[in-house]
Amino acid sequence: MYNIAFPQMGDYCVPAYFLLSNILDANIIKAPKITNKTIELGFKYSPDFVCTPFKYTLGTMIECLDMGADTLIQYGGGCRYGYYAELQEKILNDLGYDFKMINLVIEGRINLRRINKLLKQIDSKYSKIKSIYYSFITLKMIKYMDEIDDFIRENVGFEVVKGSFEKLKEEMLIKFGNVKSYHELKIIYRYFLNKFKCVKVYKPDDRLRIGIIGELYTLMEPFSNYYIEKELAKNNIEVKRFTNVDYLFLRKSKRMKKYLKNNPYVKYSMGADASDNVANCQYLCENGYDGIIHIKSSFCTPEIGVMQVISKIAESYDVPIMFFSFDGQSSETGFKTRLEAFYDMLEMRKNK
Amino acid sequence: MRDCYLGVDIGSISTKGVIIDDRNKIISSAYIWTEGNPIEAVRKLINILKKRMPRGYKVKGIGTTGSARKLIGLMLGANSVKNEITAHAVGTMAFHPDVRTILEIGGQDSKIILIKNGIITNYAMNTLCAAGTGAFLSSQAKRLGIDVEDFGEFALKSKNPVKIAARCTVFAESDLVHKAQVGYPKEDIIAGLCKSVVINYLNNVGKGKKIESPIVFQGGVSKNVGVIKYFKEVLGCDVIVDDNGHLMGAIGAAILSRKNKTGEEYELQTKNIKFETKGFECGGCANNCELLRIYKNGKLIDSWGSKCGKY
Amino acid sequence: MDKVGIPRGLFYYYYGDLWKCFFDKLGVSYIVSPNTNKEIMDRGIKVSNDEMCLSFKVFLGHVDYLKDKCDYILVPRISNFGISNQTCTNFLGAYDIVNNLFDVNVLNYNIDLDKRETLKKGLFKIGRELGKSFLDIKFAYLYAMDKYKEKVKKDIEINMERLNSKNTKILIVSHPYNTYDNLIGMDIVKYLNSQNVDIIYCDKFDDSITSKLSKKISHDLYFKYSKNNLGAAIYSLDKIDGILFISSFPCGPDSLANELLMRKIKKPYVNLIIDGDMSFTGIETRLESFLDVIRRNACV
Repeated sequence: MYNIAFPQMGDYCVPAYFLLSNILDANIIKAPKITNKTIELGFKYSPDFVCTPFKYTLGTMIECLDMGADTLIQYGGGCRYGYYAELQEKILNDLGYDFKMINLVIEGRINLRRINKLLKQIDSKYSKIKSIYYSFITLKMIKYMDEIDDFIRENVGFEVVKGSFEKLKEEMLIKFGNVKSYHELKIIYRYFLNKFKCVKVYKPDDRLRIGIIGELYTLMEPFSNYYIEKELAKNNIEVKRFTNVDYLFLRKSKRMKKYLKNNPYVKYSMGADASDNVANCQYLCENGYDGIIHIKSSFCTPEIGVMQVISKIAESYDVPIMFFSFDGQSSETGFKTRLEAFYDMLEMRKNK
Repeated sequence: MRDCYLGVDIGSISTKGVIIDDRNKIISSAYIWTEGNPIEAVRKLINILKKRMPRGYKVKGIGTTGSARKLIGLMLGANSVKNEITAHAVGTMAFHPDVRTILEIGGQDSKIILIKNGIITNYAMNTLCAAGTGAFLSSQAKRLGIDVEDFGEFALKSKNPVKIAARCTVFAESDLVHKAQVGYPKEDIIAGLCKSVVINYLNNVGKGKKIESPIVFQGGVSKNVGVIKYFKEVLGCDVIVDDNGHLMGAIGAAILSRKNKTGEEYELQTKNIKFETKGFECGGCANNCELLRIYKNGKLIDSWGSKCGKY
Repeated sequence: MDKVGIPRGLFYYYYGDLWKCFFDKLGVSYIVSPNTNKEIMDRGIKVSNDEMCLSFKVFLGHVDYLKDKCDYILVPRISNFGISNQTCTNFLGAYDIVNNLFDVNVLNYNIDLDKRETLKKGLFKIGRELGKSFLDIKFAYLYAMDKYKEKVKKDIEINMERLNSKNTKILIVSHPYNTYDNLIGMDIVKYLNSQNVDIIYCDKFDDSITSKLSKKISHDLYFKYSKNNLGAAIYSLDKIDGILFISSFPCGPDSLANELLMRKIKKPYVNLIIDGDMSFTGIETRLESFLDVIRRNACV
């Protein structure tokens, strides 16, 4: 029996674990939450100016291998993220680890037939039909999670009893992880949606609304962005974020096609989510958001290129924008000071 | 009895305090070194401020700012704890209501704040390295065997400042050593350093920012006449340096505390309060968060630095 | 008469000769920015984002230099050369970045073989935008392509010849826009030449061969230019004495592909990362000791 592990990102380890444990007869290892130790390990063994997600996921892989994993799954694409797996495998081999690396995305593409073949090697009884069924449930689960997250982001800053949203979400994720059928998932989702809507909130009309855009990994893994959303919520700010797995998988390409037609700012896709962020920035500006925060990991090339385009748009709409670049080792105090000054500034503008 | 407000700005190098009245008039001020111990520094600061304070005032608000603002805010029971960007802007606008750009270079960090119609529109802090901050200048002054206070005067003597690679401290330092070895006169090197501070600042912190006058330059380095000269030269316009420039953060903190006042009266008493901090490594998970626990009179009142919220 | 500005950076080092030939034949006047100098680099650093790679900053410096000297500036967008032959994202974004940062007319074409956007289509498009007739363009295109292919072939021949010489040989693994840039790689090349070393350029190989060869080291790599670099290294590995890596800070594809290559080959190598404000002294020291190592190896 194989021991499978995969690097995690935000809460998406729940659906990923659900999928793998249902379609494969193997021991799925839950990656430990990212901690300072993970980052330390990742930084120690990564090339210097590779982007930060490489370092984070490498750190997690080492931790998983130390926990007994013998098969690792890596995924990603769009930019150099798609190429992580091969180099990570080499680095880990050089460190003396013996394991099998499964790269779901090869040469920037997902080839289902190839993935099927790989999974068959792990579990001879692996069935395609079963995996299609569970993949469907998983996608739905991700969609539900993302919807609830959007709702939380809008409201958590205004909860009357502190921590009520977080507690409820934890409960929901545990329930989600144990569902047996699509029907059950739907019932649980409706139940929790209702509960979330019943959480007491006090939302003043003159609240600040901030949109967060940027590079996907940094957006979706809260540890890598110093829990920026929580920090904003603490200061009674409504947060809007586009990027989540559901959006990237299903909605992004269609929206971008429409957006890039006759656009004054961008003509082409600029790689990864760069042009997407231009669209998001414009949306936020046109829909009355008070400020925009752009976050990314250091050395993220597509986002670096697009930053000046984004700030040009924000400037033309007179919406303040703040850029943060996270390398996992920058000072948290400096980050907090700048963030604090940002909403002070928005507040001052609003009160004038 | 008239009302007054205390503002404290605790930086890594120096601690500044002011007491202002209702009309933003400074009635007492002090400037001392932090010496790595913000609690002791503030204790000293309060004593000095109290001695210099005229009779007939009662403190109606306390505001803190600077890197140790949270700690000192707790210690003094402040009613306003604000970051230094906001505090500097508020303080400066009280004296220069039409200010458009604030340049600030302090001991460890530097910032730029853009203001329009009394509102901050943009700002930036140095994030990458300490090149061109006060600490860099003092270490270089030491290397050249000159008191940092005389640095500016020396720079003014030079007619041909040498060019010094300004992108980062390491490069700048090695370049400096090289130029000194080759035999350039001291004042040209010093002038070059002052100029490199200006250029480095504008390229780093001031990058992409539209700098419009009136410009106010403050922070510890604003006492350096050499740096002021090159700011004027490079920007091609006048740069205002306030005598109270180093106090602007503290003044801003005091003003913010007035805006936030509750009507309560504060006593400037630090002697009888025992205030301690203890470091503590959690070890509950692999994060090994370094926690700082704060005790007032032996009682734990707060702990910081926890990533998971356990403390 | 419309004048086209060609920035001497990034794309120029792949297509410069082709463009010049094409415009010559078409009767379009053009201006190529001069070799990178301190002023151009400083201009680039000034207009670009701090975190951009040095090569891209230099490219923007060239655009900045040209902005008021011509009517159009030629900035193509190159996305990919078919499946698993992508380029760096800077090549994808260049057009839109220039278009937003500068107030200039950007002459643009798109190479995106995935979407059937070819070089031929691209050149025809700009030909039409410059008001030329179909036949003129076709003629110029065929002529330029011919000349271009001839030159590439000749370059490869020279490179191969050198590969068989008896001298000390070093393969430079680097993107051409770094190797041949006056401030990034040229000092290094000049230094090596002065030390009597034969330089093998990794961009002067037949890429249909190198692309296949790269599979020996990397199965997954999908950056075309990095694949060529890797393939060139494998092709020449037995014949060279050492490898010199030159990257501009912080190059995305290089950070992965070069690292993999360094981990997989057993040849002496040195990795030079070039950033703006660097003195050549530091680089020289490293090159000197590298040459010592290679020559000592050769003696044994």
